[in-house]
Amino acid sequence: MSFEVPIGPQHPIHVEPLMLRLKVEGELIIDVDVDVSYIHRGIEKGLEVRTYLQGLYLAERICGICNCAHSLCYCLNVEQLLGKEVPPRANYLRIIVEELSRIHSHLLWIGHYFHTLGFETLFMYFWRDRERIMDMIELITGNRVITSYNVIGGVRRDITPEIESKLRKTIEYVRERMNYYDKVIDSEPSLLGRLQGVGVLKPADAISLGTVGPHLRASGIKHDVRLDDPYSGHDEVPFNVVTYDTCDCYARVKVRMGEVLESLNMISYALDNLPSGDYRLKIPPFFKAPEGESLSRVEAPRGELVHYSISNGGMNPYRYKVRTPTLANLLSVAVMLKSKGDYEVYIADVPAILGGIDPCICCTARVIITDEVKKKRRVTTLTELERYAREREVRKS
Amino acid sequence: MIWKILEALIFPGAVFILTVSLFYEWIDRKLYARLQNRVGPHLAGPFGLFQPAADFIKLLSKEDIIPAAADRFLFTLTPILAPTLILLGCMFLPVAGLNGIVSFNGDLIVIIALMSFCTITIYLAGEGSNNRFASIGATRAALQLIGYEIPLTLALLCAAISTGSLSLRGIVEAQMANGTWLIAGPQLIGFAIFVVASQAEMERIPFDIPEAEQEIVAGWSVEYTGRRLGLFRLTKDLELFLLSGLGATLFLGGPLGPLIPGLEPLLHTIYFLAKSILVLIVFTLVRTVFARLRIDQMISFSWKYLMPLAIFLVIITEVIA
Repeated sequence: MSFEVPIGPQHPIHVEPLMLRLKVEGELIIDVDVDVSYIHRGIEKGLEVRTYLQGLYLAERICGICNCAHSLCYCLNVEQLLGKEVPPRANYLRIIVEELSRIHSHLLWIGHYFHTLGFETLFMYFWRDRERIMDMIELITGNRVITSYNVIGGVRRDITPEIESKLRKTIEYVRERMNYYDKVIDSEPSLLGRLQGVGVLKPADAISLGTVGPHLRASGIKHDVRLDDPYSGHDEVPFNVVTYDTCDCYARVKVRMGEVLESLNMISYALDNLPSGDYRLKIPPFFKAPEGESLSRVEAPRGELVHYSISNGGMNPYRYKVRTPTLANLLSVAVMLKSKGDYEVYIADVPAILGGIDPCICCTARVIITDEVKKKRRVTTLTELERYAREREVRKS
Repeated sequence: MIWKILEALIFPGAVFILTVSLFYEWIDRKLYARLQNRVGPHLAGPFGLFQPAADFIKLLSKEDIIPAAADRFLFTLTPILAPTLILLGCMFLPVAGLNGIVSFNGDLIVIIALMSFCTITIYLAGEGSNNRFASIGATRAALQLIGYEIPLTLALLCAAISTGSLSLRGIVEAQMANGTWLIAGPQLIGFAIFVVASQAEMERIPFDIPEAEQEIVAGWSVEYTGRRLGLFRLTKDLELFLLSGLGATLFLGGPLGPLIPGLEPLLHTIYFLAKSILVLIVFTLVRTVFARLRIDQMISFSWKYLMPLAIFLVIITEVIA
């Protein structure tokens, strides 16, 4: 006998609303339905009605954790539209802050992931060490979370020798801790039991489902925007693309652990070889972008992030489109959660599998209007939604 | 007669047991927090000592909700039955002397039975609340019982076999006569099995499967709010007291220790509490260093490793005794 278990829209494993309708037989999951349409924020529309500089602040707030990736992607996009090249020092500074935010995102994820597996102690330790990285981000950019570091034409501030020496100390500390945690994870049987062989995604499936980022690399495929399409001087900074070929949740943890170490090396290299010169181009606050379109890609902590814009020569973009990595990865969750033959998935594996993609729902949601009477679903445009909201507003007053 | 009633109600009876078990919850939480680099409870009272009591009182004052779909009878009965069963079990512990408040030959068996009844109560509580998460949690609790109950019982019975008595008093007296605690000897294995199985009995990491927050919200207790939830939380604290006390009595000599004439009840109480806090610390350490297992992993672990170990221990104990 099977019955439906709703994981969501509100559930302790979701920080943000997401619906997983599981069809279970006892503990075994036989079918799953994913629904992401619980948040709609109208950010793309918001970007279209703001000037390019105002848009930067909004783009940064698409996601709290990968704000650095979003602002970088936005800046790259606008710079491309304007045909400007940022100074080499700005590129290196961008790499430093981008990698710091990658480390903080990965540490946050690993900690939270262990929390979902019931390993509270390691959760606390990872978050304690993440705090060191947060302090560094604050020292460099002035803010802990929303960094506001990237601006169109460069970065907001330079780093001083004192900051540099503190940063080097932190890098050494975090490197030491990560090597220790690596040993802990590999020697803890209760943890390995929950990770190994859970949520297997074969490389061929990973490609056909369009997964990106660490999730794809954990399926053994060497894909990284930083390597394939160096966007901010990544061709000058050497780094390895960490891949793992066990294709399970264990691989996802190991890939992210490896990426933290790689990011630390990248920051050290960037600090050693920091070019001198300007860190910012002078760009006026209000400007008209030439007509055209531009596409920028950034390797966000969660995977490939794409921003696309069309300009009609005005003060603000004519159309702005964001494709976040979670949207690309969510499809694979639906596949990984289904039991098939020998591959069995239990309710207890849901946090491990869903958590494995590092889901960030608030940048993913799309609006679907469900008409209960006509039993119809349609995707609405923002204009319609806005009009509807205004009409309701009028009716209320 | 009046003394007997006071004994059962105040010391070392209900009031004492409830106070101490809230204190044990504080030790557990504080130590757990310190081991995780956190501060832990620190606001209510000195070092946050009154935090568990404050939590309990807060829950008592909350709104009481019975879901429309729930079975009213079970939903009302189980939160009262669960702490009562465990409190009754605590009455057998020899706290302030060699005798518990109630003591007779075979009281060890009664304690084991009461603990199993408590798990069955939890199963009923989950199924009675008519919720999908609760019924998954309840099923997990029952499945888990199949896993840990037999090793736990065997471990406790090995202590009984090696001392030749089924009563707690008899086991303590045998340890007094021998001059050594049971843990020094083959019963060390028994203690290890006892610690592992107790974690499952108390539904703590790595065996907090029936109420796994991240998987099934709160498992069997998902529909319970206010004073009902408070009573279930109290049950957890009482279980902490019962099992650490049982571990101390059977394996660490319970209330035994050097005595000063005239102060025996006080010294017995101090020895008992000190030893059971030691056991409690072991419980807390175990829950600090593991991740939660899956229910199938838990069952196969108990039947593949815990069970054979327990049977092996029975054979050793039989050969020695």
